[in-house]
Amino acid sequence: MKPSYLAELRAHRYTFLYLVRIYLLLRYQRTALGFLWTLLNPLLTMTVTAVVFSMVLRIEMRAYAIFLLAGSIPWLCFSNTVLQSVGIFINNEGLIKKVYVPKLIFPAALATSALLDSVLSACALLLIVIVLGAQLSVHLLFLPVAFVLLYLFASSVGLLISVATVYFRDLQYVATHLLQLAYFLTPVLYPLDLIPPKFHGLYALNPMVPFVELFRAPIYRNQLPDAAVIASACVIGVATLAVALTVFRRYEDRLVFRL
Amino acid sequence: MEHAIAVDGVSLKFRLYHDKGGTLKQSFASLLRRDTKRIYTDFWALKDINLRIVDGERVGIIGANGAGKSSLLKTICRIYAPETGEVRIQGSIAPLLEVGAGFHPELTGRENILLNGVILGQTPRRMAELEPAIIAFSGLEDFIDTPVKYYSTGMYLKLAFTVATSVRADILVLDELFAGGDAAFVERGMERLRKLIGEARIIVCVSHQLQFLESICSRVLLLEHGRVSADGTPREIIALYQERSRAAAAAR
Repeated sequence: MKPSYLAELRAHRYTFLYLVRIYLLLRYQRTALGFLWTLLNPLLTMTVTAVVFSMVLRIEMRAYAIFLLAGSIPWLCFSNTVLQSVGIFINNEGLIKKVYVPKLIFPAALATSALLDSVLSACALLLIVIVLGAQLSVHLLFLPVAFVLLYLFASSVGLLISVATVYFRDLQYVATHLLQLAYFLTPVLYPLDLIPPKFHGLYALNPMVPFVELFRAPIYRNQLPDAAVIASACVIGVATLAVALTVFRRYEDRLVFRL
Repeated sequence: MEHAIAVDGVSLKFRLYHDKGGTLKQSFASLLRRDTKRIYTDFWALKDINLRIVDGERVGIIGANGAGKSSLLKTICRIYAPETGEVRIQGSIAPLLEVGAGFHPELTGRENILLNGVILGQTPRRMAELEPAIIAFSGLEDFIDTPVKYYSTGMYLKLAFTVATSVRADILVLDELFAGGDAAFVERGMERLRKLIGEARIIVCVSHQLQFLESICSRVLLLEHGRVSADGTPREIIALYQERSRAAAAAR
């Protein structure tokens, strides 16, 4: 009888919490500005992109900056989670081969630290958005829900790719490029309206689209996301988690032999 | 509580890949060509092991290289999941296997002490209590707040050894490779290990030092090609093993 994953994580909660802490600390340890980079990093990226693209797309810079910031919050959270998940089992080979730890703990702790990182940088980005003159609306209270749904999806994709990478090491390199491609296929830099309608069907296949909308609606348009958007985010999140856990359950005992 | 280890019908399969790590390229290639040339062979490291170890026993495991000794230890510690059969453990278990691998290079010695402690099942509070003694025993006071990636091999081994042996557990699983550092430290380390062995309820250990085994064990198992081929008192099993090794050497 295998104990359930939740029971196992609970039994090893101190390890889980400590790993979350470590992943947060290590990200910016020994840099002069330390934790400030959590805030500065997305900000600098955004500034460059906002200046360049408001010129290219000939949109008013301030509105575009808010638009871009809103879409970047979910995208950065997703891509950070996936990029760091890639090597998580390989990097912990030493521990996994030496002492029993529930293996789910590594991707789970990593996704959680990436989420916390994103929430913090989202707070900073929201401040910028307010400085740029966006209206504060009560709809911003939806953001915690948006983060929960995004976490569900991002951590599931992270779990899948972390297992797959043990078997196909090439994914460590492929993942960067796949994410780059996905970035341009997701309406973060540009609004969906700019895309000819005949391609909109393709965008319906992109699972990140509803998650970007979950953030953009409250921040950029001052409204709640459509019920349909929320529903599809829920379905995508839960379905991905189910697939990820099924795959993980099948391979968790064999991972150690392939490290 | 009665502490015990029960190993029922355990077989352990290793899949030996001829080239470490399948690559996407290979997978695509074999999909396209539909060739049946497999990139791995299966190897049974343990074959139908049945074992009962009860409270108070000190069990030594001997056997030639590749007989499955370390695999058996790792299966008992749940690091390897058996292909068939099951392992049941009653009591807390401390794995003292190859030393040193469990540190995070970017973290300081102090942070690694805490990390290893919680992984071994201690609470952070308990580790805070143990920390001063661990630092003192390892003799690394001056380097404890330095990331371990800057440690010398010796320093690394000392700290790893001290952390692993600071945790009290009912069942101690000990591999021979578990020692290191300079001569003075090895001596102190052996003393610490002996104390730990004295306090544990059950010991399972692998060693090629037959005298050491004879001095601490109440029971010895001989492993050959993944099977338990003999099980008895240290004196008789060690004699049997030596006889068989001599015979094997003569036959060569």
